[in-house]
Amino acid sequence: MSFEELKKIADDKWDELASSKIPVIRIGTAMCGHAAGAYRVLEELKTKVKSKNIEINIQEVGCLGICYAEPLLDIQKQDGPRLFFNNVSIENVDEIVEKYIIQDVIPDTGVLGYLGDNGPIGTESSIELLPGIALQNRIALRNGGHISPNDIYQYIANGGYYGINKAITTMQPSDIIDEVKNSGLRGRGGAAFPTGVKWSFLVGSKSPTKYILCNCEEGDPGAYNDKGILESDPFTLLEGLTIAGYATGATKGIVFIRHGHNGPINRTETAINQAYELGLLGNNILGSQFSFDIEVALTGESYVAGEETALMEAVEGKRSMPRSRPPFPAAFGVWGNPSNINNVKSLSYTPEIISKGSEWFSSIGVNKSTGTAIVCLSGNVNKPGLYEVSMGMSLGQVVEELGGGVSGNKSLKMLQTGGPLGGVLPSESKNICIDFDEMRAAGAIFGSGGIIVGNEDICAVDLTRILVAFCQFESCGKCFPCRLGMEHLLEIVERIANCESKLGDMDLMKSVGGTMEAGSLCGHGQLGFGPIRSAITHFESDFKSHIENNICPTGSCDVPKIVPKNTRSYASDFVPGEKNVR
Amino acid sequence: MSDKINLTIDGEKIQAVQGSMIIQAAMDNGMYIPYLCYYPGMKPYGACRMCVVKAESPTPDGTYRSLPGSPASCTTPISEGMRVETNTNELVSLRKGIMELLISEHPHGCLNCHRIDLCGPSDVCLRHVTVNDRCVTCPKNERCELKDTVRYMEMELSTPLTYNNRHLPQEVKDPFWDMDMNLCIVCSRCVRACDEVREDQAISLIERSGRSIIGTSHGISLLESGCEFCGACIDVCPTGAIVERDYKWDKADSQITTTCPHCPVGCQLTLDVNKRNKLIRSIPTREAEANHGMTCFKGKFGLDFANNKNRIKKPLIRQNGELIETTWPVALEFAAKKLSQFKGQEYALLASDRGTNEDNYIAQKFTRSVMNSKNIDVSSNTSPDLFTPLQNMIGVQSATNTIWNLTNANAILLLSSNITEQQNVVAIPIKQAVTKGAELIVIDPRETDLTRQATKWLRPKINTEHILIGGIIRSIIDQSLEDKTNTTQTCEDYDKLRQSIWDFDLIKVSELTGISQKSIQDIAKILAESKSTSFLYGLDTVSDDLKKMVTIAIANLALITGNVGDDTGGIYPLFNGPNEQGARDVGCIPSHLPSYTELNEKGIGLTSLSQSIKSRKIKYLHVIGNSASLISGNDKFFINELDQLELLIVHESFHNQITEKADVVFPSSLFAEKDGTYTNLERRVQKVRRVLGQKYDDDEDWRILCQLATRMGSEEFNFTSSDQIWEEITKNVPIYSDLKMDMINSKGEIWKYNPKYKFAAIEIKLSSTDITSDQYPLILATGRVLQQKGVDAKIQTINEKHSITRLETIELNESDAISQGISEGESIKIVSPTFEIVGQAHLNGLNPGMVATTGLFGSLIETISSQKVGDPLQYFKGLPLEAVRIEKINIP
Repeated sequence: MSFEELKKIADDKWDELASSKIPVIRIGTAMCGHAAGAYRVLEELKTKVKSKNIEINIQEVGCLGICYAEPLLDIQKQDGPRLFFNNVSIENVDEIVEKYIIQDVIPDTGVLGYLGDNGPIGTESSIELLPGIALQNRIALRNGGHISPNDIYQYIANGGYYGINKAITTMQPSDIIDEVKNSGLRGRGGAAFPTGVKWSFLVGSKSPTKYILCNCEEGDPGAYNDKGILESDPFTLLEGLTIAGYATGATKGIVFIRHGHNGPINRTETAINQAYELGLLGNNILGSQFSFDIEVALTGESYVAGEETALMEAVEGKRSMPRSRPPFPAAFGVWGNPSNINNVKSLSYTPEIISKGSEWFSSIGVNKSTGTAIVCLSGNVNKPGLYEVSMGMSLGQVVEELGGGVSGNKSLKMLQTGGPLGGVLPSESKNICIDFDEMRAAGAIFGSGGIIVGNEDICAVDLTRILVAFCQFESCGKCFPCRLGMEHLLEIVERIANCESKLGDMDLMKSVGGTMEAGSLCGHGQLGFGPIRSAITHFESDFKSHIENNICPTGSCDVPKIVPKNTRSYASDFVPGEKNVR
Repeated sequence: MSDKINLTIDGEKIQAVQGSMIIQAAMDNGMYIPYLCYYPGMKPYGACRMCVVKAESPTPDGTYRSLPGSPASCTTPISEGMRVETNTNELVSLRKGIMELLISEHPHGCLNCHRIDLCGPSDVCLRHVTVNDRCVTCPKNERCELKDTVRYMEMELSTPLTYNNRHLPQEVKDPFWDMDMNLCIVCSRCVRACDEVREDQAISLIERSGRSIIGTSHGISLLESGCEFCGACIDVCPTGAIVERDYKWDKADSQITTTCPHCPVGCQLTLDVNKRNKLIRSIPTREAEANHGMTCFKGKFGLDFANNKNRIKKPLIRQNGELIETTWPVALEFAAKKLSQFKGQEYALLASDRGTNEDNYIAQKFTRSVMNSKNIDVSSNTSPDLFTPLQNMIGVQSATNTIWNLTNANAILLLSSNITEQQNVVAIPIKQAVTKGAELIVIDPRETDLTRQATKWLRPKINTEHILIGGIIRSIIDQSLEDKTNTTQTCEDYDKLRQSIWDFDLIKVSELTGISQKSIQDIAKILAESKSTSFLYGLDTVSDDLKKMVTIAIANLALITGNVGDDTGGIYPLFNGPNEQGARDVGCIPSHLPSYTELNEKGIGLTSLSQSIKSRKIKYLHVIGNSASLISGNDKFFINELDQLELLIVHESFHNQITEKADVVFPSSLFAEKDGTYTNLERRVQKVRRVLGQKYDDDEDWRILCQLATRMGSEEFNFTSSDQIWEEITKNVPIYSDLKMDMINSKGEIWKYNPKYKFAAIEIKLSSTDITSDQYPLILATGRVLQQKGVDAKIQTINEKHSITRLETIELNESDAISQGISEGESIKIVSPTFEIVGQAHLNGLNPGMVATTGLFGSLIETISSQKVGDPLQYFKGLPLEAVRIEKINIP
C-alpha cells in the first residue's frame, strides 16, 4: 500500500472518530495516570456505563504533560469540545457519567478546561491557557494525550509516517544525515553528542548486518520521559528508528526496554506489529527497496544496562556489565556487528526534523542546544509533570511556572538534576538555563531530564544517602573501584547521616571518590562520587552539622529509611556466633 | 600478521606484535605492570583497574594525543609510536587506592604478619593475627598473586576503611575442589576461563554490586551445571578462592613438567611433589603447544594413582600355583630361561600404550630380534583399520594437522567419537571454532557434549556411517562442488572413486541410513564450500568389519573437498592410547616395522590375539601392562583365553585380572617414575620426566626387557639410559631422525611426513556382525552430556557431598514402542545382560531398532571420584553400543 492510500484510510478513520455520535472518552493511562489510579477509574467507568446501558467509545491515551492532573478524563461528545476532568477518582466517575454524559450538565468541580473549536460550553476556560500546557513546545510528545498509542491509523492521521515517506521517496541517506546534523540535534541520553555525527560512524561500515539500538533502560529515579514517549506515542520512535535505519544503512533496530515496564513494552510491541501489518516495517517499506526490522529486547533489572556496551551484553543475553572500549560499538557492537545506540528522545525528534526541515528544528532552543528538553519535574513541587519545553528555559521558570512553585509554601533548597549520578544544585541555580553546555559549566548535567525539587525540609545528607544507596545498589560488580568504592561511600554517608561519623570521614570519602573517578571502567563508577561532591560543595553546612554538632539540621535524616540490603557486602549479614548460611 | 610495531614504555623503546594490548607488549619485553584480572590468552576484561597507565599516541601533525583518563593497559591496544607511562605518582597512588579497597574485603593477615619474612609457599602458622585472617585459612599462602602484587606495590597496610570479611561458609560439596569465597577478589578469571576458553559456562558471576561473587550457573551444583571438571578455574585463580581439595595444604618440594598418561593429547602438566614423595598437584603448562594450558578431569584430578600404596612392590613368580615375591635376579632368570625355550611365532608381546617410545622401541626390538617373532602389538590398538587405509591415501597414519589448528576450521565433521571424554582437550578448539561461527556436523547415534554444540546432528542407522559419507561424496559430485584441482591434477585414482560412487544413489542412501536426502545435500554443500574443513573420527559405534570402509570414505571426503596436506583442515583419527601413536611409529604393530615399513607377512596383533590363543597358535604371551584397554573389559574374551597359555609374563604396577593369571609379574614403573618420550595424536614428540623418586622395587619396562635380552644372550641391549635408546631410535626410525632433543625437551616437536593424494574405491557393504539377539533385540546408544535442559536432576547432599538422582529419558521409535504397548511418558526400563536403566519413554522418531538414553557427566565424575581402585580411570568405559530390550514397568 502506498503512503497516500494509508493516509486516506487513516484520515477517514480519524474524521469518523472526531464526528462520532457516541461520546469518545480519552483516559490517560500512561505511567502517571496509571500511578494515580487511571485503571481503577477506567474499570469503574466501564461498570457504570454498562449499568446505565449507554454506549461510549473509550480510548486509552498517553500523557499530556500535566501529570499532576491525572487521572485525566477527556470526554468529547458529538459536536462538542473535548472537556477535561482532572484528578478523577472512583467516587466522581458516577457524577461525571450521570451529569455530563447523560444529562449534559457540566459538573461544578473537577473540570480542568476544554479543548477544541466547539467550546467553551460553560464557564470553563481552554486548557491551552494552563501554564503546564501553554509553556510547552511539544515535538517528540506532540501526540501525547491526543492519539491512542494502540492505533497506528491515529498516528498516521496526525502526520505520522510523513517523515519516513519523505525520506525514502525524496532523500538519499546522506541527505538525511546532513539534515540531522544541520538541525543541531544532540543525543538526549546524557552525553549530548551530536546525533547526526553519531549516525555517520555507522555509515562507513561495510558489514552486511548493522544494528541501530534504542535505549529505553531509563532506570533513573525521577526520570520517565522515555517511558512517557513509548506509552504516549511509540510510533514516533518507530518512525525515527526506521529513518535512522535508512540513513545509516542498518538492517535491524532493537528497542531495548527494562523488563517490568509493561506499559511501554506492550505498547511498543503492539505498535511494531501494527507497523509490520501495514508494511511500514519489514521488507520493502512503503514499496521501496528499503527493508528494516525492529524488535523489542528486554533487560534484567539493572541500571548499568543503560550503559551502551552493557546494553549490548544484555541484548546478547549476558549479564549486563560494560565492555571495555576499544573496540567501540560502531566497530564491534551487538554480536560483534557494527552498532549505533540512541536515546528514545533523540530518535523521536527525527520524524519531525525530516518532515519540517532542519531549519525549523534549529530555530528552537538556544546556542548549541537546539530543539526541546523533556523535563520530568517531581519532588516537592505543586505541579509535577512531564513537560516538553524549548531549550533555554531557566530552571526557575520550570519550577515556578510549570511546577507551580515549591509545595507546602516552603522555600526551594535544592534541585537534583540529571539522574542519581548528576548531583544537586543549590537554590541559587534557578537562573541557569536548560542548555547542555551551560548546565555542565554549572557543575550539573541535564542528563536524562529528571529534575527533583527539594524544599527546605530536606537535609542534603539525607538526599545524598538516598542517591548513593541507589548508585551502590546499581553497581554491576565488574570493576573493583566501583564495586568496592560504592560500598564504602554508602557506609560512610550512612555513618554521617546517623551522626556517628568518625574523624576524617570527609577526607576518606574524597579519597575513595577520587579512586573511583579515575579508576572505574564506566560512567557509573566514574560519576558515582558526583552526588557526594556536589552536596559537599553546595551544602557543606548540612554535613558539618552532622559531623560537628551530631544533629541533623532538618531532622529528615532521623526518619528511618529503607535501603535495600541485598547488594550490600556479605559482611553486613554476619551475626557473630551464628552459623552463616548463604 | 606478525608485524611488529614500535612503542615506548617508561622511556624504553620496545617492539611488540601488532594487535597486542599494552600489558602484553610490556610482558613480552620483560616489563611488569601490576594486574589481577588479566590473564594471557583471555579476552581483554578490564575489571581490576590495577594495570592503569597513561598513554599517548602520535597524531599526523607530529604532536601527541593523550588517551582519556587512565586507561587499563589490558584493554588498550598498542599503536605505532605510542608512549606509555606505567609508574607516575598519580598512577601509583590510584593503584594503591584500588588495592586498599580490595584489601578491605580480603583477609590479609598473611600480609601484615610480623613473621612474613620467614614465610614460604604453602607455609602456614598460627601467630599474631586475627583468627579469620591468618594464613591457615588460605591454602595458597605465598602462591598468591594478590600477595605478590601488594608486596610489589610496597603498600602501607593501615587503612581507615572498614574491613568487611564476608564470613561465607566454604563450598565443599562438589567433587575435587573447595571454594572459599571469602578469599575471592571477583576478578572473574575463572568465569572467563570456563566461558571463553572452555565454552562451558558452568560457573558465572552471581548477585550484583557489593555481593558480586562466583557461583554456579543457575545456582545449581557443579554436577549438573555443565561443569566438565577440567579445573581450568583453579589454574587461573589468583588467590586461594578455588583450590584442589586433595593435598590442599601440602607444600610443593619440586615442580617438574611431564606428559599426561591418560590420552593421546599429551597434555604438558607441571606436577607438584611434596617432601614425602607424593604427587600433590597437577597444573597444565600454559606455554605448551599441545594443550595451551588446558587439561581435563583426568589430567587435573586423575593422577593420584601415582600415590597409591597398593602397588606391586617386588617381582613375583608362580611356584606351585601361587605367585610369590622374589628378587629381580631370580625373576629375570626364571623368565629368561622359560623364554629361551620358546623362541618364534608362538610368542607374542603386547606393549603398553602408556609405555614411552623408548619402552616400545625396545619391546618390538626384543620381540623381533630376540624372540624372532612378528607378533607384536600395542594393547590399545583395538581398531587398526582406523589408520591403515590412510597410509596409501594420504601418506600418514595419523592426524594431518595440529589440535589447535581446529580453531581455524570453518566446518568440522565429527564422526562417532565422544571427544569431551576421550580426548578432552581436542574439544576445546572445536567449541571455540563453533563460537567463531564454524559449522559443526556430528554424526553419532549417541548424544554427547559436542552434539549439544553441533549445528547439525545426524543419527544414522547403526553401521551405515560409510554409506552416509558415500552419499555425501556422491552429492558433492552431483552438485559439482568437488575440489577440481584435487580431482583432476593433484590426486591419483579419482576414477576409482568416481566409478564406485554410482552405487550411492541418494534415494538408496537415504533409505539405508535413515537420513533425508535434503540433509545429505545440505551437509555436502557445507563441507565442500567451507574454506577449511576438518574431519575427526573415532568410530566408537561402528562395527569392526566396517571401520576400514568408513576410514576410506572419510579420506575420500577429505580429498575431494581439498582438505589434506596443507595448513587448512585435516583428518584426525581419534584413538585412546596415550602413546599409541608413538608405539605405532616405532614399530609396535604387527603389520609394520619402525617408520611404517610395511611387512609382507603380518604378525598376529591384538585384534586376532584371543582367537590365536584359543587355537593355540600363541602359547607364550608377554604383556606390558598399565594399559586401560586390556582391563576395561572391552575385549571380554581376552581375559578368559589367558588360561590356555603356557607362559604369561606381565609387567604391571597394580594387581588386576591379568596379573592373577601370570607366571611372572615384573613390577613396572608408573609414568611419573620414568624418563622418555611420548608422541601425541598430532605426531608431537614430547618429554616424559621422572617426577617421583623411587618408592618400591619397580623398574622401567625397557630396562626389564634389556635385562631379559642380555640374559638370553643378546648383545644389542646394552642401554643404561633412555637417552641412549632415543639415540638408536633416531638412527633406526627414519621419521624420527630429524627430531632434536632440545626441541623435544622444551616445546615438543612434530615429525614430518610426505603427503600422498590418492582416492580409493568405496562400496555399500552391510555389517556381518549383529550384536542383537532374540532376547535383546534392540541396540542401546548411551549418551552423556555436561548439562541437560528440561530434565530434572535432583541433587541430594549426603555427608557434605552432592550426588545426583534423576529419572532418565529413554528415547525410542514409535513402532518399537507400539509393539510393546508403550506410550509417551510411560515408565519403562532398559534391560541388558549386565545392567538396568529405569526411565520415562520419549517417542521422538529415533531409528527403528534403537533405544537411546543420555546421562549426566556429573554422574560419571561421581562414580570415578568414589572409586578406590589403583587407577580408577583405567576402568573408565566409553559409551559402547549395547544390545538390550525394553520392558514396561507396571506400577501397581
